[in-house]
Amino acid sequence: MTVTGAPHAARDPGRPPRIPRLITGSAPVSLAEHLDRYGPPPLRADRPAAGRAVTGLIDEIDRAGLTGRGGAGFPAARKMRAVADAASRGGTFSSVGAVVIANGAESEPASWKDRLLLSRAPHLVLDGVALAAEAVGASRAYLCVHAGPVGPAAGPLRDAIASRDRAGLNRVPVQLAEIPGGYVTSQETALVGFLNGGPARPAFVPPRPAQRGAHRRPTLVQNVETLAHAALIARYGADWFRAAGTAAFPGTALMSVGGAVRRPGVYEAALGTTLASLLQRAGGPAEAPAAVLAGGYFGGWLPLPAAQHIPLSDEALRPAGASLGPGVLVLLPESSCGLAETARAVRYLASQSAGQCGPCSNGLPALAEAMEWIAYGRAGAADGLSWAQQLLRLVSGRGACHLPDGTASMAASALRVFGADLLRHLTRGPCQRVSRAGVLPVPRPPAGAS
Amino acid sequence: MSPRRRREPQRLQLNPIACEAHGVCIELLPELIAADPWGYPVIAPGPVPQQLLPLAQRAVNVCPTLALLLTRAG
Amino acid sequence: MTAHPAAIVVTSSTPLWYATRATGLVALVLLTISMALGLLSSVRYQRPGLPRFVTVGLHRNSALLAFAFTVLHIITTLADSYVPVRIQDAFIPFISAYRPLWLGLGAVSFDLMIALIGTSLLRARMSYRTWQAVHWAAYLCWPVAVVHGLGTGSDTRVRWVLLLTLACVSVIAALTGWRLAAGWPSRPVARLAGALAVVAALIAGGAWLAAGPLKPGWASRAGTPPALLKPAAGRALGPAAAARLTSPITQGRPPAPAGSGDPARHPHAAASGPAIAPRQGRAR
Repeated sequence: MTVTGAPHAARDPGRPPRIPRLITGSAPVSLAEHLDRYGPPPLRADRPAAGRAVTGLIDEIDRAGLTGRGGAGFPAARKMRAVADAASRGGTFSSVGAVVIANGAESEPASWKDRLLLSRAPHLVLDGVALAAEAVGASRAYLCVHAGPVGPAAGPLRDAIASRDRAGLNRVPVQLAEIPGGYVTSQETALVGFLNGGPARPAFVPPRPAQRGAHRRPTLVQNVETLAHAALIARYGADWFRAAGTAAFPGTALMSVGGAVRRPGVYEAALGTTLASLLQRAGGPAEAPAAVLAGGYFGGWLPLPAAQHIPLSDEALRPAGASLGPGVLVLLPESSCGLAETARAVRYLASQSAGQCGPCSNGLPALAEAMEWIAYGRAGAADGLSWAQQLLRLVSGRGACHLPDGTASMAASALRVFGADLLRHLTRGPCQRVSRAGVLPVPRPPAGAS
Repeated sequence: MSPRRRREPQRLQLNPIACEAHGVCIELLPELIAADPWGYPVIAPGPVPQQLLPLAQRAVNVCPTLALLLTRAG
Repeated sequence: MTAHPAAIVVTSSTPLWYATRATGLVALVLLTISMALGLLSSVRYQRPGLPRFVTVGLHRNSALLAFAFTVLHIITTLADSYVPVRIQDAFIPFISAYRPLWLGLGAVSFDLMIALIGTSLLRARMSYRTWQAVHWAAYLCWPVAVVHGLGTGSDTRVRWVLLLTLACVSVIAALTGWRLAAGWPSRPVARLAGALAVVAALIAGGAWLAAGPLKPGWASRAGTPPALLKPAAGRALGPAAAARLTSPITQGRPPAPAGSGDPARHPHAAASGPAIAPRQGRAR
């Protein structure tokens, strides 16, 4: 089926989907099925030249209030506008055309929604890539995933891209890029650095990727789920998108629910859904719950059952000391020790430092040691605690990326939420629960990782 | 620094990747920069007071790795 | 008074010749100081009496001063019409008529110094990585300067000059060893290679020094033009020139009584080879 540049919404995209919007079946959706259900992506009939931004979609996304689903929650329209402006400003020495990077490199260990989205609905993501490329005036695009067993299967993704090439749907060439594993390799400047031929390590900004990124061109880095939502907004409009979610944080998001729940998995929920109702959808707690880690390893702990009615959106989670992040929830049962879990997570995060910034490469291992001392150390002086608190202040905001700040805020939330445990650990030594198997997933570093 | 630039509020910014803890800025500008336990600079937030601007500029010039920067305050 | 079969010098050039040697030595000492401070900087050396900003600042200033003295050294050499050195010999190595290899090393060192100081003055306009790559040339610039001094210099066998040079070498070798031991560069292979290079350089340098400049006849082996080693055939000195030759200024000692011009009986006719200047330090 050859579709070339169908005029905007000329082919009726059909009835707007209800929740779940993104992943609707248990099998991967082929290109034919995708086009059957949604029609072709509403690209313009006249193909705009690279470097010439098309702002219609950006305005629609702005009205829809779509925020990034990769963890930072940055407004997508604002990012796209910055890239579009930089691309159209051009200049004698800048190359023509911007670059779009679809970030599917899911390095958060407790998250697997991007992998699932890419395997079940790759064409929604690739639609989003094509639409974003047109909107910002890009001349090439990359789909970044982690290499090897950590990331999604590369073969089916290459096939999906090729089938779109044959159908003429890839107006800009889309290339699959396999990124080395590691927590910080999926940070936007790290991706840009890797695509420019260097190591996948965060870089100092300025210049931001939106100004100068891959191949020295303005670069849009957007999470794959964000692009999938954009592909649907382009078809069904901002009002449809806003029909779910809250006024400030509209739409739905894919949530990876794990830990001690009966049915761990990825669930799509409207933003603002309460924590309790999402946990119920995941089958409810498998055993008596103590706390939940919301937002992944850069998020924070929330006590249960006290926080069960908290709505899942940044506006409610941030004041409570957590965040939405990439939609990660890990339920901690009462039989586990939150301090020990946090110590393990901090030790993992410290091992993931790119080693570029002194405060991070020195401070995070020291923090891990302090947390381990609190979790597993002997009873006695509270000096370890005050050293940990000093470290939390010392590392925050002093790196090139957010690894030190994110780790620090997650550790701080543990010391706050598990206060009773903390007191017991400091006065009577570690509890028996520290020896239970880890609830928080901590990957073993692959061979050859830094 | 041009006379016009001297009147605009400036703030000190550090490129943490370039910084290699030589410690020269910490010696030259103790009013605004302190050392952390590993020798890396901790910079006081906020704009640089006008009377310290020449000293801040000197610290920026002397950094062996050009990691310290004076940028226009927000 | 018979003509001395010796190096002939015009009196007016003698202060220039002293100046060339002096500025050359001072430049070497300053270069050594700069290099030493650079090494101390890389190991983050700090004492209450030597704060970091002094180490870094002095490193830069002594480098500039070393460059200034090197320029003076070159100017005085060029102005001294005795030695056949042209201005291009200072920049392009190994093309001079006078000791081409050893003088050429001086040109190499000078070129490297220009690159080091030029890039450092323009540091803000280039990437740090570029500046750093060029700065590694310091590890070549300094030893080449030392070898230039030992090979070209006419004072190599003067004891205090030799000791001064050896002291400079010891300081830099020790500090380089310290830097390697302190863990820079971070890869152990690179540090081992560096250590081996230092040891090899010291051994090779010492062997060359013992077999070369410190042995008699170095002047001609080093490539001094023959015209400077002995007088042109058949040319006799006029009485005025001969008088200048034996004057206290050129000789550094009381004038020889007339008729005692036999070079074989000359107190200074000992050390370095067939046709030598009677005055020590003028050996070619």
